[in-house]
Amino acid sequence: MPVPAPSHAPSLDFASLVRQHQAMVFSICWHVLRDRAVAEELAQDVFLSLYQHLATLESPEHVQFWLRRVSSNRALDVLRRRQRRPMVSLESAPEPVAVSPKGDPLLGSALRRLVGALPEKARAIVVLRYQEDLDPAEIARILGIPVGTVKSQLQRALGLLREKLSRSLGEISL
Amino acid sequence: MNFEDELRSALRRREPSPDFTARVLARVAATPPPQAVQPWARQPLVRWVAGIAATFIMAAGAFEYREYRGEQAKTQVLQAMRITASKLNKAQKKVQMISHRSNS
Repeated sequence: MPVPAPSHAPSLDFASLVRQHQAMVFSICWHVLRDRAVAEELAQDVFLSLYQHLATLESPEHVQFWLRRVSSNRALDVLRRRQRRPMVSLESAPEPVAVSPKGDPLLGSALRRLVGALPEKARAIVVLRYQEDLDPAEIARILGIPVGTVKSQLQRALGLLREKLSRSLGEISL
Repeated sequence: MNFEDELRSALRRREPSPDFTARVLARVAATPPPQAVQPWARQPLVRWVAGIAATFIMAAGAFEYREYRGEQAKTQVLQAMRITASKLNKAQKKVQMISHRSNS
């Protein structure tokens, strides 16, 4: 049964919005949380929240900004709650099957694992920078932090990733 | 590919499960419809007026509460004075009885 958008926002068809943005929302959650099941659940919550707030969003760009902000912040909230109350990691769950259009699949997997080990804020910054291709100013607006912080955290995270990657690749080649 | 391109490729968007949209729509269908925000309520002037009114109401409430607490404290002091006075009366009566007996 098709679910219509709230009557006061007839220009935005909710089902199309879900289809259009589900990969973005799910991927932000998944890359930050490294847990597919939790990421899907959280992405559903984000869309449910979008349905509730649809009337306050004025344009497709506003919807996209809102979704990026809410999914990043909620994923960070889950991460913080999980760190306060450690759970059994589901990282051992198989990764989603996806055909890699380019790049080394082993390297990609190692990079995702390393990104998943970054401090929480840096992780969200890296995901928004390289998954969503956003510049530091846009990331700062989404996460509500200064642009300088985004730039410095990004630099530090990249340095850390390069260092850890070269170390783990060295171990593999041994 | 350089390092940043590798990162871009590793973190590219993924699709969720094929039934994701259907599950979202099912959850939405089971949710009560959102409350419509009246257009007038979105006007900045209306928001300011509502904020100022709320501040006044809270200030008046705080003032009333302080008055009430003051009245309560006054009642308690009077009650304590009444109790003390009655105790003093009783003590005075006893002293008078004892002195009367010792005189007779």
